[in-house]
Amino acid sequence: MAKNTRGIEVAEIIADKCIACQICIGECPVGAIELNAEGVAQVDPEVCVGCGKCFDSCPVNAVRFEKKKRRKISEPKPAEPGAKTVVHRGVAVFIETVEGRGAPVSWELTGKARELAKQLDAKVLGLVLGSEVGGVAEEAIRYGCDEVHVVDHPLLARYLSATFGKALSDLCAQVRPEILLIGATALGRDLAGVVATRLETGLTADCTGLYIEKETGLLLMTRPTFGGNIMATIFCQKQRPQMSSVRPRVFPMPAQEPQRKGIVTGHQFEPPAVELPEIVEFIPTGAEAAADIVHYPALVVAGRGACDHASLSLLEELAELVGGVVACSRPVVQAGLLPYERQVGQTGRTVAPRLYIGVGVSGAVQHLVAIQGAGKIVAINSDPNAPIFRVADAGIVGNYQEVVPELIAQLRQRKS
Amino acid sequence: MHFAVCIKQVPDTAEVKIDPETNTLVRAGVESMANPYDITALEEALRLKEKYGAKVTVLSMGPPQADSVLRQALSMGADDAVLLSDRAFAGADTLATSYTLSKAIETLGRVEPVDLVLCGKQAIDGDTAQTGPGIAARLALTQFTYVIEVQWIDLHKRRLQVRRKVEGGFEVILGPLPALLSVELELATPRRASLPMLINSFRAPVTVWNAETIGASAALVGIKGSPTWVKAIASPQVHRAGPRWDAAQGVRPAVTAALDTLFSDEDFAAGFLKGWKV
Repeated sequence: MAKNTRGIEVAEIIADKCIACQICIGECPVGAIELNAEGVAQVDPEVCVGCGKCFDSCPVNAVRFEKKKRRKISEPKPAEPGAKTVVHRGVAVFIETVEGRGAPVSWELTGKARELAKQLDAKVLGLVLGSEVGGVAEEAIRYGCDEVHVVDHPLLARYLSATFGKALSDLCAQVRPEILLIGATALGRDLAGVVATRLETGLTADCTGLYIEKETGLLLMTRPTFGGNIMATIFCQKQRPQMSSVRPRVFPMPAQEPQRKGIVTGHQFEPPAVELPEIVEFIPTGAEAAADIVHYPALVVAGRGACDHASLSLLEELAELVGGVVACSRPVVQAGLLPYERQVGQTGRTVAPRLYIGVGVSGAVQHLVAIQGAGKIVAINSDPNAPIFRVADAGIVGNYQEVVPELIAQLRQRKS
Repeated sequence: MHFAVCIKQVPDTAEVKIDPETNTLVRAGVESMANPYDITALEEALRLKEKYGAKVTVLSMGPPQADSVLRQALSMGADDAVLLSDRAFAGADTLATSYTLSKAIETLGRVEPVDLVLCGKQAIDGDTAQTGPGIAARLALTQFTYVIEVQWIDLHKRRLQVRRKVEGGFEVILGPLPALLSVELELATPRRASLPMLINSFRAPVTVWNAETIGASAALVGIKGSPTWVKAIASPQVHRAGPRWDAAQGVRPAVTAALDTLFSDEDFAAGFLKGWKV
């Protein structure tokens, strides 16, 4: 254990464990820690007073510190101002509406909310905003909500950050859920940031796993970070609601229960006192939207190893046979062979087809985290060490130009 | 007009990995860079400046070495650069970050009001896309996310019109200034700095502000102002590890064996033969 010149046993950072989250820097009462040029926290031993706060706060155990020798720092614990005396109960889901119906991601989250609510012995609350959305409230009950809180107002017929942001924040202030889940669609991501800021609470984006910690009842949120290379588990200690956004198709779709009963409550809307923007025009993507890869039950995914123009018709033939479409990994988009809309991966689309066939896909982590929801994964690659084989239900090591025609022939046989 | 562009210094995320043996971060060879989305926002600010006339101030919150992204911005043509650097800012999540940046924008505005705040739609290290909406909410700016085109700015009526990506298409939307734009990469291709600009940027002053300069409350910045904490990190686990066959032993038997495995699942076989139930 290192001592400084004053004989204090000081804390040390283990460089290759440090994730540069800077929590220790904020916690250190004497400002002894800073990020060095390599992006690693570093303790100045002459400034360190050996209090151990960095040791306690480090999420990844990257601080070496001898606990017994801890020195007490006389620092009064600041009282939590207005410490959450208000009780927050229930797992709320923001129900996004698309053309008068609930968006699929909202029902996926409702299914997840039921699981979480069961562990917390709490209710699932559906939060519906819009104009003439009574039908969506009924749908929400069939999908698993115990209570639905509706703000129905003509100004909410179309989404604006300002109106929806205020309506949802106001509704949360009234209903006081302990958890709020929002689908990470374009709309949901725009909205979630506004609501978390207005409610001054924590928001964790694009979660792929949600759990209740048994001992504390806190929501643990797992999300990919650093471009999908690392999974981080995040929690929100004090502020409520604990907010989380989740991409579509991460959680399974629950079944509707037509007999389910629930309570629907209407709430008033107080429009924001600012000049609102005006939507001049909506231009649907039309043909492109129809070809959205996420809607196909089967995907034949071309990777770096099958990135040439001549093979495309072969892959299309296979895709048609299995009732799907050709998609690709990032290198294929970068090579200009297929458009970005076809890209599967952390920076492309998260997909959950019934059948995924990877052809020449090596399986970078960013790609693998986006296909977790697939039913069956088939991998065809000439490299036996390709990571994709570790996630495949069936793998064939070989040249795809030989394997794919044989696969097409045998699938035809089975079909007839 | 006065534009403020927020820029984050990020690690080149493609290079950051976890060593599966030791469960520690492998950072050898990982370089820092300016978040590409933010540089796109800066490019658009510079183009709007050339078209309508404006002053462009760039802001970054980070450790002292984050000043390199501000120098890059100066070399591209930004007029002023402010680095928000203070120990108290360390460990900030998006809530504390949007607070700190909005206090800094308020401070800028006391000298010359800010008409437009531009930032990338997200940073490539966190991918949260929360800081932009957070700033807009705090400063009551008109919020335009996922912008792919700024169509016009009317200085007299104080209005702007943009085209933005929404679910299932695009939206053309018009609203009042002051506003915040969070931008997509396709909005603009960033320019390269000219050599004289590059050289000048090394000498240009970068103003450094701390929590006191921007009047930020100690309870709301950095780790103290951050409701979310990291509990643990791990490598992504996605394992199934089904059987595999080598086509070198014969393509036909390999394909047959693979298909037998798949078709042993009755639901799968039915889906393939009778059409998938979606």
